[in-house]
Amino acid sequence: MGATFVVTLREAFEAALLLGIVYSYLERVGARAQYHWVTLGGALGLVASVLAGLAVSFLSGPLLDLGPDLVAAAVMFFAVALLTWHGWWMRQHARAVKGDVQRRIDEARATQRLWIVALVAFTGVFREGAETVLFLWGLMSQTTISGWGGVTGGVLGVVVAAVLGWTIFRGGRQLSLPRFFAATSVLLVVVAAGLFATGIGKLIGLGFLPAGDPLWDSSWLLDDHSVVGGFLSGLTGYRARPTAPEVIGYVVYLVAAGLLLFTPRTAAPATDAARPSAGALT
Amino acid sequence: MTRRLTATFLVAIAAVLAATAAHAADPKEIPITIENNRFSPEEIKVKAGEPFVLVVTNKDKAPEEFESKELRIEKVVPAGKTMKIRVRALKPGTYPFVGEYHEKTAKGRIIAE
Repeated sequence: MGATFVVTLREAFEAALLLGIVYSYLERVGARAQYHWVTLGGALGLVASVLAGLAVSFLSGPLLDLGPDLVAAAVMFFAVALLTWHGWWMRQHARAVKGDVQRRIDEARATQRLWIVALVAFTGVFREGAETVLFLWGLMSQTTISGWGGVTGGVLGVVVAAVLGWTIFRGGRQLSLPRFFAATSVLLVVVAAGLFATGIGKLIGLGFLPAGDPLWDSSWLLDDHSVVGGFLSGLTGYRARPTAPEVIGYVVYLVAAGLLLFTPRTAAPATDAARPSAGALT
Repeated sequence: MTRRLTATFLVAIAAVLAATAAHAADPKEIPITIENNRFSPEEIKVKAGEPFVLVVTNKDKAPEEFESKELRIEKVVPAGKTMKIRVRALKPGTYPFVGEYHEKTAKGRIIAE
């Protein structure tokens, strides 16, 4: 039971974290009426996960040998792009809010970009969703007593992940607005950097990118097979024996995203100039 | 942002090109079975420097995830199914793998020499 609990908790935690962040983000910018976009994205992610699970279970052939891996790699890079985009968008709002004291998000701009939060929710759920669905399904098809203990553990894992997501949502409401934006931006960038490196690792595993020797071995300090190491590897992309392409990808992404999202702007870009007209629309 | 996306696309294109080149020759297939939450054989010897394909058959009634952190492989093998897993050319060494859903019993290693 303990083992299945850890598996589903680990798989569902990233989704819960992202859902918690986007829900509280909407709450903080005064767009609670738009929650349904996130819910819709998450629900579609769940449906897609079940369909992917069904496909893997009932189809066969060469497409299945490589297909799911390529889809997984594509989803990872797509999620990186989305999270960066979302971080960029949050930054715009953080500045707007600072200038105009809790100004409500304007509907026109909101609906234009809300598909992004829906997509963040979708990819967050879909990324590990198919695996979790298959895992739980497999557990339920076992009828032994140990099987039922496993099912309980597996379901509990998802429930605890959801509770953690909810805690993040509640916690996000307590923080001051600039702190909330800063904390979530850092968190999203770290998650995205981890995803980017994991995507590169996936391509290495498939033989599409050269591996080379691991740059270092920190498994004596924190093994990625351990429970804590497993969580860190899921959340931040930690690897005990990383290869050069992964480390380079991780650092390049962190620097690029850091420059994009955290450097103070001196010149007034087009988005700033657009602010007064956006305000006029409300 | 645009640059990031462009870079992602370039990586994807490079990946497809590399894939076509790398998989021109048929790599050797090595069978491995999962039964009672254990791998059989638990030790696989391969030639270093040659890519190969693991043909994993899951005879159990529960799915298993073939996972090797060292090889960057994660692949769910549903109950009663056979999956092919491509493995890149390895340098000489030992590469452990586990069944992630039954990590206590499902363990094995690939030895490239």
